[in-house]
Amino acid sequence: MTGLAADRRTFLKGLGVLGAAALVPGCATSTSSPGSGGSAATGELSLQSNLSAEQAKGAMEKLVAAYNKTGGAQVELNTVASEIYRTQLPTYLTSANPPDVYTWYAGSVADSYAKKDLLLDVSSVWEGMGNYSKAMQTLSTSSAGQKIFVPTSYYWWGMFYRKSNFAKWGVTPPKTWEEFLAVCKTIQSKGVPPIGIGLGDTPWVASAWFDYLNIRINGAPFHRDLLAGRGRFDDPKVKAVFTKWQEVLPYFDPKGKSFPFQEATSALLGGKTGMFLIGTFFADSAPKDALDDIDFFQFPIIDPAVPVAEEAPTDGYFASKKVKDPEGVKKFMAWLATAEAQEIYVQSSSGTAIPANPDGKSADTPLVQKGKAMIESAAELTQFFNRDSSDALQPTADAALTKFLDKPDQIDDILKTWQAAAEKVFKA
Amino acid sequence: MTSTVVEPAAPARRGGAGGASPRPKRSKLHRVSPLILVFVFVPFVVEAVWVFWPALQGFWLALTKWDGLSAPTFVGLGNFREMLSDPIFGTALKNTAIWLVLFGGLSVLGGFGMALLLQRERRGVGIYRAALFTPVVFSLVVTALIWRVFYQPDGLVDSILRTIGLGELIRPWLADPDTALYAVIVPALWRQIGYVMVLYLAGLKAVDPALYEAARVDGANAWQRTLYVTIPQLKGVNSVVLSVIVIDSLRSFDIVWSMTKGGPYHSSELLSTYMYSTAFQSTQLGYASALAVVIFLLALAVILGYLIRAFREEA
Repeated sequence: MTGLAADRRTFLKGLGVLGAAALVPGCATSTSSPGSGGSAATGELSLQSNLSAEQAKGAMEKLVAAYNKTGGAQVELNTVASEIYRTQLPTYLTSANPPDVYTWYAGSVADSYAKKDLLLDVSSVWEGMGNYSKAMQTLSTSSAGQKIFVPTSYYWWGMFYRKSNFAKWGVTPPKTWEEFLAVCKTIQSKGVPPIGIGLGDTPWVASAWFDYLNIRINGAPFHRDLLAGRGRFDDPKVKAVFTKWQEVLPYFDPKGKSFPFQEATSALLGGKTGMFLIGTFFADSAPKDALDDIDFFQFPIIDPAVPVAEEAPTDGYFASKKVKDPEGVKKFMAWLATAEAQEIYVQSSSGTAIPANPDGKSADTPLVQKGKAMIESAAELTQFFNRDSSDALQPTADAALTKFLDKPDQIDDILKTWQAAAEKVFKA
Repeated sequence: MTSTVVEPAAPARRGGAGGASPRPKRSKLHRVSPLILVFVFVPFVVEAVWVFWPALQGFWLALTKWDGLSAPTFVGLGNFREMLSDPIFGTALKNTAIWLVLFGGLSVLGGFGMALLLQRERRGVGIYRAALFTPVVFSLVVTALIWRVFYQPDGLVDSILRTIGLGELIRPWLADPDTALYAVIVPALWRQIGYVMVLYLAGLKAVDPALYEAARVDGANAWQRTLYVTIPQLKGVNSVVLSVIVIDSLRSFDIVWSMTKGGPYHSSELLSTYMYSTAFQSTQLGYASALAVVIFLLALAVILGYLIRAFREEA
């Protein structure tokens, strides 16, 4: 019996040790992972990245490796799945020992953190970025007038189509709304749904239509004000967007409600739809050989009096206000702003992103050149619905727009509900 | 290290239990063994840090307005008042009730029916049991993916309907607000029926065959035997099944989220998906916590009501 008790005690002790061993690394990771960067003594910076897609992740690894060779602070890349990243970002930034540098989007979404005084002022980095466009500067400036963001690349949205199919149907890319309607009519007469869309699982794709119609009809300043909570969604000017939209609703692919944009991409490439309003990221899920046959045209002009604006979502970096080594961080961000660094990223990623630095060389395909030219000639740039407002406002748009596509006769009701939902978000 | 200790200890304990008189055992009851203390307090501490404390915080957050960035501001019962005028909350509550009735009710009926059918050992019955239980093994996200393929335009469901001449019924199942919720309940049932069946099979195994024997001698037919012997004997299993069903319905999230995300335009929203999207998409963490409190109270109310009645009957 005593022998058993002794055995039991040793067994317990063993358990205790095991338990402690199991707990200790748990504690260690839980305290160090949010702030694995902070150690200024060793000259290390942590870079939190949401670019988790295989190609983009590889490109980031190459980028960091290239910087670490330059002899500055050693950067440690921490890639987090983008969906988790989005929900965790506030936690990272408000933690006591936050990571240093973050991938994020320019514009309103970055400014919302600047308003909470969580971001590092990088005005000194911008002193070396004189060649950047005015639009990029505005996008990177907080509402308090500080530079808080370093843009590194952008992409564009457009109406994509297959050149061979357009030739087969005998249509040419339209420039105006009337021409666009005519093209839709022709394609429909060939038995193909003219406009593809993918709302199942990716309802936010519909926001591109809202954005573009709004900036074509009411202009970019009105659009930005609306998304910033300085306008109302039940405004007659917003209703005008939807009445215009109704003109093309019969041309939308009815199956588009059921599948995500990736499948809508396959539908376009397979010739099952005629055109598709989408950002260049769709190319990530498209076979390379089909891409040679792909071209795009600018979203048709509706009112020639409205200055032409384009959606050019801009990606880049900001840093936490609480960084331990501000000089090291700024040096790294200044390097990220160079054409050389952006080329490393653009070349190793999917190739449709365009460097934010005007001196950076983008991929040398006609498609990218055309996209770049379109963005450079635009009078105004917008980002995208969620980037110009907030991720919190996006679900209200998803609900309103998918409902509109389903029940277009209930516009007034939908806009009233949208306004109520948006007010709740702005007040929160 | 553990293996060297455990191996000699295990036979020693068995030997002790067999040979020792009950006297030394009873004297041991007076002092609480440190082992028991450890088994009670270590899980308690772990639970307190990772379950009780966050739960209490959740109750506190339900009374605040919080965006996850700034400090939470106390708003009292403001979140609950807001729910009353929130149309999406209304839809979510209604859908959760539909879910509870359809998903809960049909999985009990289906599971019980399958268990009755498959309880007797016949040739090949194992294959059927395994087939019904297989969906339980899959992760719900996988189940959702499989069913999404069934439901996709020109997918299996559409082609079956077309072959049997019901082509005009075809609609975008998951994108039509009238069908989305029911289209999600079906795969959830597909899984849950297998699970409930196993619970009932275990219960049926525990019913004394002598009772059936006696009922048969008394001239009860198969229906009467089920009604008056099987069902009363399954009372214990029923309370387990009910708790499982209520908890599973109220926390049903993954299948809805991976199939419709509560859409299109909130038409298949459950309280759980609405809670998630308010918390992590709209970052209204206070309001989301209030929704979580409502879910908790609902689950508690349904289960407590049943358990209290069950205990009263027993006493």
